[in-house]
Amino acid sequence: KVDHREKKEFELLQFPNNRIHTSKYNVLTFLPINLFEQFQRVANAYFLFLLILQLIPEISSLSWFTTIVPLVLVLTITAVKDATDDYFRHKSDNQVNNRLSEVLINGRLQSEKWMNVMAGDIIKLENNQFVAADLLLLSSSEPHGLCYIETAELDGETNLKVRHALPVTSELGTDISRLAKFDGVVACEPPNNKLDKFTGDLSWKDNKYPLNNEKIILRGCVLRNTSWCFGMVIFAGPDTKLMQNSGKTKFKRTSIDRLMNTLVLWIFGFLVCMGIILAIGNSIWEHQVGDYFRAFLFQDEVVKNSIFSGFLTFWSYIIILNTVVPISLYVSVEVIRLGHSYFINWDRKMYYSKKETLAEARTTTLNEELGQIEYVFSDKTGTLTQNIMTFNKCSINGKTYGKLFSPLKKIFPLLFSYNKFQFYDHSLVESIKLGDPKVHEFFRLLALCHTVMPEEKNEGKLIYQVQSPDEGALVTAARNFGFIFKSRTPETITVEEMGKVVTYQLLAFLDFNNIRKRMSVIGTNDTFEFGGEGLRTLAIAYRDLNEEYFKEWFKLLEEANREFDKRDECIAAAYEEIEKDMMLLGATAIEDKLQDGVIETIASLSLANIKIWVLTGDKQETAMNIGYSCNMLTDDMNEVFIISGHSAAEVWEELKKAKEILFGRSTGFTNGYAFCEKLQELKRGSTVEESVTGDYALIINGHSLGHALEANLQSEFLEIACICKTVICCRVTPLQKAQVVELVKEYRKAVTLAIGDGANDISMIKSAHIGVGISGQEGMQAVLASDYSFAQFRYLQRLLLVHGRWSYFRMCKFLCYFFYKNFAFTLVHFWFGFFCGFSAQTVYDQWFITLFNIVYTSLPILAMGIFDQDVSEQNSMDYPNLYRPGQLNLLFNKSKFFICIAHGVYTSFALFFIPYGVFYNLAGEDGKHIADYQSFAVTIATSLVIVVSVQIALDTSYWTVINHVFIWGSVATYFSILFTMHSDGIFDVFPNQFPFVGNARHSLTQKNIWLVILLTTVVSVMPVIAFRFIKVDLYPTLSDQIRQLQKVQDKARPLKSHRRQPRRTSSRRSGYAFAHQEGYGELITSGKNMRVKNLHPTSGLGKTMYNSTSWIENLCKKTTDTVNSFSLDRTVKL
Amino acid sequence: MERNSNDVRGLLSRMPDNTAFKQQRLPAWRSHLTAWAVLPGFFTTGAFFLGMGILLILSAKSVKEIEITYTSMCSNCAKLRENASNFYKECTCSVPFFIPEKMPGNVYMYYKLHNFYQNLRRYTISRNNRQLLGEDITNVENCAPFQRDSNGIPIAPCGAIANSMFNDTILLSYYPHSSTRINVPLLSSGITWWTDKHIKFQNPRSNNLPSAFTGTTKPPYWRKPVYQLDPENPENNGFLNNDFIVWMRVAALPTFKKLYRRIHRTGPFANGLPAGNYSFDIAYNFPVTVFKGEKGVVLSTVTWSGGSNLFLGIAYLTTGAVMWLAAFSMTAVHLKMKKRNIVSES
Repeated sequence: KVDHREKKEFELLQFPNNRIHTSKYNVLTFLPINLFEQFQRVANAYFLFLLILQLIPEISSLSWFTTIVPLVLVLTITAVKDATDDYFRHKSDNQVNNRLSEVLINGRLQSEKWMNVMAGDIIKLENNQFVAADLLLLSSSEPHGLCYIETAELDGETNLKVRHALPVTSELGTDISRLAKFDGVVACEPPNNKLDKFTGDLSWKDNKYPLNNEKIILRGCVLRNTSWCFGMVIFAGPDTKLMQNSGKTKFKRTSIDRLMNTLVLWIFGFLVCMGIILAIGNSIWEHQVGDYFRAFLFQDEVVKNSIFSGFLTFWSYIIILNTVVPISLYVSVEVIRLGHSYFINWDRKMYYSKKETLAEARTTTLNEELGQIEYVFSDKTGTLTQNIMTFNKCSINGKTYGKLFSPLKKIFPLLFSYNKFQFYDHSLVESIKLGDPKVHEFFRLLALCHTVMPEEKNEGKLIYQVQSPDEGALVTAARNFGFIFKSRTPETITVEEMGKVVTYQLLAFLDFNNIRKRMSVIGTNDTFEFGGEGLRTLAIAYRDLNEEYFKEWFKLLEEANREFDKRDECIAAAYEEIEKDMMLLGATAIEDKLQDGVIETIASLSLANIKIWVLTGDKQETAMNIGYSCNMLTDDMNEVFIISGHSAAEVWEELKKAKEILFGRSTGFTNGYAFCEKLQELKRGSTVEESVTGDYALIINGHSLGHALEANLQSEFLEIACICKTVICCRVTPLQKAQVVELVKEYRKAVTLAIGDGANDISMIKSAHIGVGISGQEGMQAVLASDYSFAQFRYLQRLLLVHGRWSYFRMCKFLCYFFYKNFAFTLVHFWFGFFCGFSAQTVYDQWFITLFNIVYTSLPILAMGIFDQDVSEQNSMDYPNLYRPGQLNLLFNKSKFFICIAHGVYTSFALFFIPYGVFYNLAGEDGKHIADYQSFAVTIATSLVIVVSVQIALDTSYWTVINHVFIWGSVATYFSILFTMHSDGIFDVFPNQFPFVGNARHSLTQKNIWLVILLTTVVSVMPVIAFRFIKVDLYPTLSDQIRQLQKVQDKARPLKSHRRQPRRTSSRRSGYAFAHQEGYGELITSGKNMRVKNLHPTSGLGKTMYNSTSWIENLCKKTTDTVNSFSLDRTVKL
Repeated sequence: MERNSNDVRGLLSRMPDNTAFKQQRLPAWRSHLTAWAVLPGFFTTGAFFLGMGILLILSAKSVKEIEITYTSMCSNCAKLRENASNFYKECTCSVPFFIPEKMPGNVYMYYKLHNFYQNLRRYTISRNNRQLLGEDITNVENCAPFQRDSNGIPIAPCGAIANSMFNDTILLSYYPHSSTRINVPLLSSGITWWTDKHIKFQNPRSNNLPSAFTGTTKPPYWRKPVYQLDPENPENNGFLNNDFIVWMRVAALPTFKKLYRRIHRTGPFANGLPAGNYSFDIAYNFPVTVFKGEKGVVLSTVTWSGGSNLFLGIAYLTTGAVMWLAAFSMTAVHLKMKKRNIVSES
């Protein structure tokens, strides 16, 4: 990559400018591109093909408008939607492209629109500004070229990240003239979408400096806590990582979608078969009858050959019978799903008022699958728990304070002004007031030993910038008990102790890491050292150090730092040296509380036969605690299997044991390598499962899971896991989460749902059939990847049991009816074929064919598909068993489809042959003949509209005012359109288009015709009613029973709630969380993050522990380490 | 303060509206197939259908109808018509028949064609309604293959339907005694639909009908041009000819009857056709044997539900019977289930 404005011509050729296009069309290209896109859909292409067929006069059996009207309607609706979407994209593009940023041009800073920014430009950014392009950080207002960025827009993480410039460039500072002369050349990797990686180097003044991600500020970030910085544009516009990342998301489809596509293919096959039958019929007829008849009808016959005639007839019938797969199917399905999505968005019972968060259906095409979920994979932290750490209990000097529930005493929570902090023990406050030194030490330590950054907002409000929420909880607790952490500098910590401001000298800072599991702060006032050991139930200890000892130790530490090969070990040894012989002060307990309603939700979902697996990155104990606290693990479980082997053999052994317990020794354990048969077995469905009784639970950790997911063990693992009532996987990587989901998806053929809130859940959310994001603590990343999002885990119950169930129920009903309706509608032509010489004569008026699906019958079915309810929402929640039919896919499957088709065929049969029988020898009341084609058409059409309307009326189980309006309205519309099209006026204008003039008037005033319509309707509908009645009587489904119950309930108000209280048998209740990450320790002590003006000149022993370069190297090393370990992990597990 | 009120408003705007529609709580009637609705429904509908069936059968039986197929009776003429070269040769045929019972009231005379496919797609579209409206009689669009004659002169009326018009003339004679013969007066008026006669078909505006049709030629299978269809009644000519209008209303099925004449109720026929000997005198013009078709004449009275239609009555009766059967069996099942439920509950 080359830079600078002077080489502009060159750049223009090579690099895009910073203008971004997320929009797809402009005014000119909209029509061609949009149409091209739309016709790529098979359905639309098919209808275009039909339209072309219809333009061939020899074949055309229907006027072109019968196809083009619905097609244009569908295309228009889609185009309007696309156009609106694109309009908003244009708007946001324009807004973004016209943002201003300060660019260094010709040695001066000038305001320039974002879209004119070029690769190689030098840009000045100010605090809280959005970054215009991917920049190489050159210099900043902060010391050592540091700057802070927030990457929320990129990856959703809200915590601040540090970037730092190369020392050589950070010297440039704010010197415009020098910056303008900057002529470094950056060579780097081509544009890519990896947000956490950058490799390249900067050649400047004959030196090469390596560049990595730490020196890059990406577009989409916001500059924070940094008053200004300069950066050189490396990637602009479409090359930026932000834009590179905005790729297409994986398109998810529901099982109903797939089934629908299969069925549509079958219907096509059926269509072709019918076409062939009728074509053969035509050939025979032409041969036997038509040949002789020809003289009468046609002077010059185009179609001389009966075989050729049959061929043409085939295509003609394909056109006529195409309505078995109506174009409106796909549109209607989309409309219904959209409606259901809106209902989810509108649901007040899934609205979390504390955060003003709505439930959101981010994908509108998956709703009915919510009614078929069998497995739920849940994250723990932030999903089951609130991820809000609360200081709940502490033990000081052997005395325990905190939540002591006793049934005798009513406990009033202590309320603190800040943060609505609650603590349920007054004795602690008493102790503080009494000045118990141990208690004071305890809280002093809490106020000192941490990496929290205070930020004083105006009005003197203290805001703590915390890196881990539990740290925040501790410091906040200390603050509430009178030990207020006020400010820090690299060398001092200022604490207000019971109203008295004390400044401590900070000597050394031993940051938390996962091996030591402790953190120490060595400071001086009276010379002290505090250490917090193992952040779980945090033990607080201290040690008094004398100065000599510390000096000695510090020397040791510096030596360790100078060590090159084994630096880490030496440092660890030094830390170990000083962190011993400590006095235990007490312990704190931080609780990550379960979210409200989690227990009830899990209980209810279990009753709905939804299996919930917890996949968490936490360690086993924490995960198990949560398991107990949300009743997934109970003390009365038969067995809790814990798989924690470190090698494949150990895991195999453990699984074997588990299996022996499950099936008894006799069953034995099949060779783990004979997994193919096993998988077959699993696919066939689980007969084994039923034979196992009792509650079992499986807990497996990440190491073991890695082995269990290998090809030879995964079948065994899956088998055991599926038998267990509860499965908890702990210490799993994001990738493993996805692998577990994939495994279940693949071998259980079950519909899966993954729910999580953090970045580590994204892979799982994306690979599950349905991904749900909790819009909670850990930023928006999971939500952005999800299909549905809401604020609290408990809403999952409502999403699945109410919305999901209804969506599935409605969609199935819709599809059944839709296929039925169109078969009844279309097959009449087939029967008529046998009586019109297979001439592809339609039974109905062409206008009727055009309007039937889009006007006469579209709205009632949509109303049913959107509003229908079999049981009320309350009952859906109260009887989770109602969810079963969805999981078993009972409401719409292939056999249901055939029933619907058979129903349609039967109806078409009745619709044709009853009028046929009557018209065979019919004369009007006035003796005039009414057995003409047009009357026949009107009779059958009217019968059809009435029959399908009665049928939808029967199918609709929830008659709202909308259903009434649509159903009655459709019938009324039919008659008004019929009379309009058969009126004199319209005939006078278009005599050839509306030849049915006067028909409705004559036919529909004949008693005979109405008797035919009545008979047809009754014959078509009666068997359905009888069949359904008998079915409800003999084999009532749960839904039927509850509907009956509902009737009774409705009569006997007030409603009684049938909610069952979930039993509580768990012994342990609270889940304690802790952080695993290393903190800001180094950053704090190095002072790199402190403003220069804040730095007080300090005296005393403690200087910064490392020199600046070593610190930076350290930080870099750490980051690369994590990256490496992650990628290593990936390669191994893949 | 201002910020606060904004917050409140913001909160309210985020919260979904508490409307019955958005919360899916629209007041609604939950339909349910209860025994109390279904069983009585089946019984009453069944009863209605049975009653209606009986009524329809009775009225169908009360219709007096006589059908005479004359293709075989006039086999000479049929033979003659098989050869197109005999196109202009006259052939008449007399078909005697006997009416055993008096046909009271209005008696209608139909011609009936068997195996004539007026419903073929290409046949039914081979017409031009604009031409038949008399607006533009040279408009022969859509009329293929009968648009123009070999000289390119447009055909009026154009199209296959018009060309194949039924052109037998049938006269009815009554023989009160073996020697006396009375021509039964027949009306050709009132056999068309009102809308056809007054809206769908119009003659071109002109004082003189033949001149209105200048520039057009007759359909190839016609003997006379359209303005000479009825030599007796000048009003009954052109596109407004009743027989033409009736023919142009194509039949739904390959076997059909079309109203040909009404018996004029005067003189001895004031109360319908008395029983006795009759004969049809047929000018046999319309060839049907070439396509194995048959022609016939039907004399029929009508009742409240039109002509004789046994099918409808039988269908109603059957449906009613089936419904009752279903109703009884459903009742049985229901009672049994109820009993079982009670037993199991107790």
